[in-house]
Amino acid sequence: MTTTLERVDQPDLSGAYRTVSLMVRERFHSTPDAVAMRDKDLGIWQERTWSDLWEEIVVTAHGLLALGMQRGDVVSIHSEDRPEWVIVDLAAVAIRAMSTGLYPTNPMAEVQYLVNDSGAKIHLAEDQEQVDKVVEAGPDAFPNVKTIIYLEPRGLRSYDDDRLMFWDDFQDLGRAHRNEHPGTVAATMAEAQPDDIVTLVYTSGTTGPPKGAMLSNENATFAIETIILAENRTADGRMPGPHDMVLTYLPLGHIAERIMSTWTMCSSGAVLNFAESIETVQVNLQEIQPTLFFAVPRIWEKIHATILIKLNDATFMKRLVNGIGYKLAAYIGRSRIKNGGNYTIGARLAYWLGNPLMFRALKERVGLRRCRWAGTSAAPIAPEVIEFFMGFGVPMVELYGMTENAAVATLNFHGSNKVGTVGEPYPGIGLRLDEETGEIQTKHDGNFLGYWNKPEATAETFTDDGWLMTGDVGVWVDGTHLKIIDRIKHIIITSGGKNISPSEIENSLKTSPFIKEAMVIGDGRKFLTALIAIEYDVVGNWALSKRIPYTTYRDLSEKPEVIELVQGIVDETNEKFARVEQIKKFRMIPKELDHEDGELTATQKIKRKTMEDMFSDLITEMYRP
Amino acid sequence: MRTRPRLFVSYASEMSLLPTWTQKIAALVFLGVLVAIPFGIIPGLGFLADNDWLKILSRVAIYAIGALGLHILSGLAGQVSLGHAFFVGIGAYTAAVLGGEVGKGVWGLGLPIWVWLPAAGIVAAVIGALIAPTAVRVRGIYLAIVTLGLVFIGEWIFRSVAFITGGSQAGRKLPRFEFRIWKEEMPLVDFTTDGTWFGVEMTSEAKTYLLMLAFIIVAVIIAKNIQRTRVGRAFMAIRDRDIAAEVMGVAEARNKLVAFALSSAFAGVTGALLGAFIGRLVPETFSLLMSIQFVAILLIGGLGTVTGTLLGSAFVIILPRLVQDFTGLLASTVETGTGFFASVAGIFVSTGIDDPGIISTLPGTSPGLNVAQFNVLLYGLLLIGFLIFEPLGLYGIWIRIRNYWKSWPFTY
Repeated sequence: MTTTLERVDQPDLSGAYRTVSLMVRERFHSTPDAVAMRDKDLGIWQERTWSDLWEEIVVTAHGLLALGMQRGDVVSIHSEDRPEWVIVDLAAVAIRAMSTGLYPTNPMAEVQYLVNDSGAKIHLAEDQEQVDKVVEAGPDAFPNVKTIIYLEPRGLRSYDDDRLMFWDDFQDLGRAHRNEHPGTVAATMAEAQPDDIVTLVYTSGTTGPPKGAMLSNENATFAIETIILAENRTADGRMPGPHDMVLTYLPLGHIAERIMSTWTMCSSGAVLNFAESIETVQVNLQEIQPTLFFAVPRIWEKIHATILIKLNDATFMKRLVNGIGYKLAAYIGRSRIKNGGNYTIGARLAYWLGNPLMFRALKERVGLRRCRWAGTSAAPIAPEVIEFFMGFGVPMVELYGMTENAAVATLNFHGSNKVGTVGEPYPGIGLRLDEETGEIQTKHDGNFLGYWNKPEATAETFTDDGWLMTGDVGVWVDGTHLKIIDRIKHIIITSGGKNISPSEIENSLKTSPFIKEAMVIGDGRKFLTALIAIEYDVVGNWALSKRIPYTTYRDLSEKPEVIELVQGIVDETNEKFARVEQIKKFRMIPKELDHEDGELTATQKIKRKTMEDMFSDLITEMYRP
Repeated sequence: MRTRPRLFVSYASEMSLLPTWTQKIAALVFLGVLVAIPFGIIPGLGFLADNDWLKILSRVAIYAIGALGLHILSGLAGQVSLGHAFFVGIGAYTAAVLGGEVGKGVWGLGLPIWVWLPAAGIVAAVIGALIAPTAVRVRGIYLAIVTLGLVFIGEWIFRSVAFITGGSQAGRKLPRFEFRIWKEEMPLVDFTTDGTWFGVEMTSEAKTYLLMLAFIIVAVIIAKNIQRTRVGRAFMAIRDRDIAAEVMGVAEARNKLVAFALSSAFAGVTGALLGAFIGRLVPETFSLLMSIQFVAILLIGGLGTVTGTLLGSAFVIILPRLVQDFTGLLASTVETGTGFFASVAGIFVSTGIDDPGIISTLPGTSPGLNVAQFNVLLYGLLLIGFLIFEPLGLYGIWIRIRNYWKSWPFTY
C-alpha cells in the first residue's frame, strides 16, 4: 500500500499552486502519523492520521476521475458533517474540479434546483433519506447526474437505479484507477491555477432562489491567510496549529464552517472532530473541549439559556455559590467590555476568585474550558450574550464576512475587542462604507469570481469601480470598529419616516431563554409589531413548574400565562429603545418554524417575505384599528 | 486523552480501570496505606497495627473474596443465591483433605498451599457447574429457595462425612499458611509464626494480613476484569432482562453456568483461606447465617459494584467489633457512672438477671440479647434500612457525594 502511495506522490509539487488539498499532502509528508481527524463511531472517537486521510483523498480523487469527472466539473454533496464530506471536497480540489454542499434539511424541490443549477455530474447522498430526494423524482428531473454515491447502505439494497453506487465500491473503483493510471492526481495538482474554482457556495436565499457563489483557490488562500492565520486572533496569541482541536457540526457547505473547520485543518494542522449530530453537540463539546470554537448566534443563545436554567435549578448550596460566581462574572464582563476585552486589575482579581469557585467547572461542563478563541458570526447576536461568556473567561469575539467575499471583512482582534461591533477590518484589505446608503463594500483577493451561470446577478453585486456590495448597512464606531445596522432590505421605514433596524430589537428579545425567534414588522406602518416564537422545551418546563397543563406547541404558545410572560419580556426590551422603536403589539407564532415548511432558510434564518404571507392574518389583526 | 478525560479514542481507554492520573495516584496511595497498616506508621491509623485489628482486617479480606464471588453471581448476573455458604464449605474441606494432616479418623494428604488453594477453587467451581443446570431453570424467588435447599443439604452432608469434616461439633484441623515446595520439613515461608522479614520484626498476624492483602488485590483485579469483558457484559445483559439478552444472542444457560462456576470458585478460595485462618472448623459454620452474611455484604455495600462489595465486607465484618466495643463502653458507663448518660446507657444494657435491657453483658444470665444475637438483629435492620432508603448501599452514598461535586456548579 505504502509503496503505491509513494509512487503516486513521487513528483515534487513545491512549485505548484498551494491549494487546500496540497496543504493536506504536505502534512502527510511532514507528520504522517499525527492525528488529522476524529469521528465518533460506535461510541469511540475513531482517529484518522494525515497519511490515512491523504490515502483516502487520493483514492477518492481517482474514483472521481474514473467516473468521468474533469476539470471544472461539479460534485454535489448532500450529507451531514462526516469525514467523507471533507474527503470528497478535497479530492475534487485535487483534480481541479469543484464541490457544492447541500444542507441535510434541504427538501426535494430545493435539492433538484441546487443540483441542476450547479450542473453536478456526481451526487453524493448520505443515506436513504437523501437518496430518495433524488431517485424519487425520476432520472429526467436530474439530467446531469450520472452517478449517485451513497454512504449508508441501510435500506438501499433493494434499489435498482443504475446511477446508484455504494461508497466502498466507489473506493474500489478509485484504487483500480490508481493502479492503472498512477500519478494522475499528482500531475493534475501540479497544474492548479489560482483562479480554479474550488467550491460553489449557495447563498441562503432569503430573497429569491439561491445563487451559487464561485470561490477560487485564490479566494481560499486569501481567507486562510487573513482570517485563520490572523495575528492577534487568539487569547494567548499563538497561531492555530496541530495542538488545536476543532469541533465541526454546522453544515460544511456554509462558508463559515468551511473556513473554521476544513480549511483550518488544512492550513494549520488542527485536529478536526466531527460531532455525531446537531443534537449531541453539547455532549461532544464536553468530550472534545475544543480550543477553537465557532458557533452561530443560535447556538450561543442555546448554551447561554442552558447555563442560566441549570444555574437556577441547582440545589441550595450550589445556588448560593453560583449567585456569588454570577455576580463576579457580571462584574468581569462589564469591566472587560469597557476595556476593549482586556482584563482590568479588578477583573483579574475577580477571575482568580471566581475561577476555582465555579467558572472552571462551568466551562468544563459546557465544553469551553480549553477554548482560546470563540467566534460568533453569520447572524446578529445580542451584546449581552458575548458579555456573559466573556465574564466567565471565554475569549469570545464577533466577526463579520459573507460568502461573496470569502468571509473576509472584519474581526474583533484580541486586545481591542469592542462588544456590539463586528470588529476592525483585516489589515490591508479594502473596506468602505457607501457615502449615501452606508452600505459596506469590500475589495480584496477574497472577492468571489461571480455567481455560477448568472452574469447579470454578478454584475449587480459589484459597483462600477469593482467593489463588492455586501447588502449590509454599517456605521463606524470610534473610527476603527464597524457596527452592522442591518441588511439594507430589512431596514424598516415607518410611515412616520423613521429608519429602524429590526434585528437589534429582535436580538434583544432573543436574549431571553424563553424566546426562540422574533420578527419585527412595521415597514410603512404607524407603529412596530412583532411575531414571536417561544423556545418549546424551556417554556414547557416553565409551564410544568407553574402547573399549567398544555398539549401542543400551539396550545402552549397561546396560553394566557405564556402571553403574559412574553409581554413581560417585550416590556423589558421596550425600555431599552426609543419610543418609535418600541413594540406596541405582538402575536405568538402558532407553529414551530421549519426549513422544510419554507419559513426558515437552511441556515435557520427567517424568510421575512414568506413569514409575512404566511401569517398575514395575524399581522392584519395587529394593525386593525 | 490526558487533558480531556471524556475523550476516548479506543475501547481500551474507555474501559481502563484507572483512566486518569489522579485515579492512578489515588489507588497507589491507598495501596501504600494498606501495606503500611501493620507497621503502625500511618498517623491516625496506628491502632490498626494491633493484632486484634489485624485479624479483623484479614477476615475482611477473606470475606471480601467470597463476597466478590457472590457479586459476580448476584450483582452482575442477577441470580439470587442463598447457597454461597455451601460452596465456601466445599472449598474449606477440599483444602482440609488436600492440605491437612491425617488426624483421628480424618483424611489428609498434607500437600502444600499451591496445591490446596487453587484446588479449593477448582473443586467448588466444578460442583457449582454441576448444580447450575438445575438452578438455571428457575429464577427469582424460586432460585432463592433452590439455593436455600442447597445450604441445608450441604450442612447435612458435611455432618455425615466425618472422615472429611471431623463430624458435628468436633470439627477438624485445617492446613496452615505455610509455603512449601513439596512436603519438606521446614516451610520456605511461614506466615503462622512471628519472625523477621527483610530486617523488620513481624508478628504472625501482620504476616497473615499481608498475605490476605495480596490475595484480595488479586481477587479484585480478577473480578474487575470479569466485569469489563465480554463475559461480564453478557452477565449484566442477563441481569437486566434475560429474554432480551437471549434475543441479542447472549447464551443464557451457558452464561448462567459460567457465573455459577466463577462465583463458586471465589467462594471455594474463601473457604480454604477461612479454614486456614481460623485453624479448626465445624460443619455448622457453613450455615444459612453465613449465606445471609454474604448477602448482607452485597446489599449494604451496593449490589453490582466491586467497590461496594469491598465496602460492604469491611462494614459487615467490622460491625460486631464496633458493637462489642460500644457495649463495653455502655456497660462501663452504667457501672461506674451516674447522671444522665449512665441512665440512658442503662436502658440499652442489661448487666444482670434483674436488669432489663437490649444487650446483655453477662450472656446467659441476663434477659437481653448477647452481642452475637444483637449483631444478627442489626444485620436484619440494616438490610431493611438499606433496601428501603439506599438501594445502592454504601456505594450509593459515595456515588451521591461524588456526583454532587462532579456536577458542580449545576445539579444535573
